[in-house]
Amino acid sequence: MSAPTTIESSVLDDTAPQQGRTSAPRWGTAALALAVVVGLLLGYAGGLLTPRLTRPGDASVEAGFARDMMTHHAQAVEMGMIAFDRGTDPEVRSIGGDIATSQQGEIGTMQTWLRSWGLDPAGSEPAMSWMPDGAGLVRDGLMPGMATPEEMAKLREAQGRELDTLFLRMMVKHHLGGIHMIDGVLDASDESDVVKTAQTMKNTQRNDLTNLQNALKRLGG
Amino acid sequence: MSISTPGGPERRPTVVSTGKKPAAGRPAAGAKAGSGKPAGTPRAGGKGPRKPVAPVKVSQGRAWGPIALFVAVGVLAASIIGYGAWASFQGSKPWEDRAADIEGIVNFREKDKKLVEGGNHQAGAITYSVLPPVAGPHNAAWQNCMGDVYDAPIANEHAVHSLEHGAVWVTYRPDLPADQVTKLREKVQGKEKLMLSPFEGLDKAVSLQAWGYQLKVDNADDKRIDDFIKTLRVNASIEGPTAVCSGGITATGTAPRDNPQTPQG
Repeated sequence: MSAPTTIESSVLDDTAPQQGRTSAPRWGTAALALAVVVGLLLGYAGGLLTPRLTRPGDASVEAGFARDMMTHHAQAVEMGMIAFDRGTDPEVRSIGGDIATSQQGEIGTMQTWLRSWGLDPAGSEPAMSWMPDGAGLVRDGLMPGMATPEEMAKLREAQGRELDTLFLRMMVKHHLGGIHMIDGVLDASDESDVVKTAQTMKNTQRNDLTNLQNALKRLGG
Repeated sequence: MSISTPGGPERRPTVVSTGKKPAAGRPAAGAKAGSGKPAGTPRAGGKGPRKPVAPVKVSQGRAWGPIALFVAVGVLAASIIGYGAWASFQGSKPWEDRAADIEGIVNFREKDKKLVEGGNHQAGAITYSVLPPVAGPHNAAWQNCMGDVYDAPIANEHAVHSLEHGAVWVTYRPDLPADQVTKLREKVQGKEKLMLSPFEGLDKAVSLQAWGYQLKVDNADDKRIDDFIKTLRVNASIEGPTAVCSGGITATGTAPRDNPQTPQG
């Protein structure tokens, strides 16, 4: 590494020390020590940097999924809280509270991913662009399954049994869209924590779907 | 890397380099270089008797192969590591620093610490010194900021509470042309921690607010709008990234509502 490659092997006006002879082994030792130190430093730097360079980047599937799913979840939280607050059927109220709290928790998980990847909660890419053909699924800024502002206004104004069934129908649609997005990340990512969490989300939402649809049948919606 | 020409200044004029690998018998100068103090070491030979030495042939040529290899590997390693360090340094620049890089942004967190500390709930109408307001006491209910697009002015007293939860509030002058409003709407609609409303009396076409930050620009095409949103949305929350924007006031009108739809948080 540090081998001096130009060594005066002779000088006309030679002032080289006579004991140079004896330092020959020392030179070798110094070079070796330096090489070892430099090698260790390089290894240390590489070890520090590798996780940073291999973690999901700003335009990655994982970051796109986390950001978009946070938005998707945030609306489910809004709907769930309305059902929890003003639903009349006990099961509707409990499903609403369950969905709101668990999805809000998952939002925290996804925020933590982004923070640990050194990324902003907000992205620069258009919504859903991390999924093949995903951007085409966005309508007025809304991802698959998301309710329009008009539908949300209707839910806020609904009362009694009408609110219960409206919530159930909107949440079924919301979950179906959500599962489509979850499938998108399961197909494309091999980041183990993301895949594991996404799989749990999918299982939960499928389970919810059965319960939501049964409740809808029971309430005649 | 110390591919160097060792030797003290006193030797310089008469040195002839041959580029030979250090021969076992004459490594003195190399040893000094290797030990990192080429000039500081007293040389025993300085006043020793001169030894008549036959001039050495100088046309041996350097061992370019190994030199090139060393240099190439060194440059490669240094550039990989350098790039990685630079990239991760840039990437890990705190959002506060990146906010400061946005041209024209006003940072009230620095300018007016007293203004930004007040997150207290206060019922009824509140007078704000900065308009549109960027921080301060606010009503218990927040304005719904789930990517809501309000087509009429909203109450400052609720909007400030939304800022506290990490929302970026985009406001525009009521006479802004419709195509400009559409551009703003496309940035906001459907995205939580964002909301859009007209604001009476704005001195610029568009003004963006986050808790303790403001940026005014002349039109909706300004690239800094996206920079502001990317840098401050959620990040500027003083209640962390999970404070919600839902469950707030969805009505327009600048009169604050003392009876919120939901409990405060």
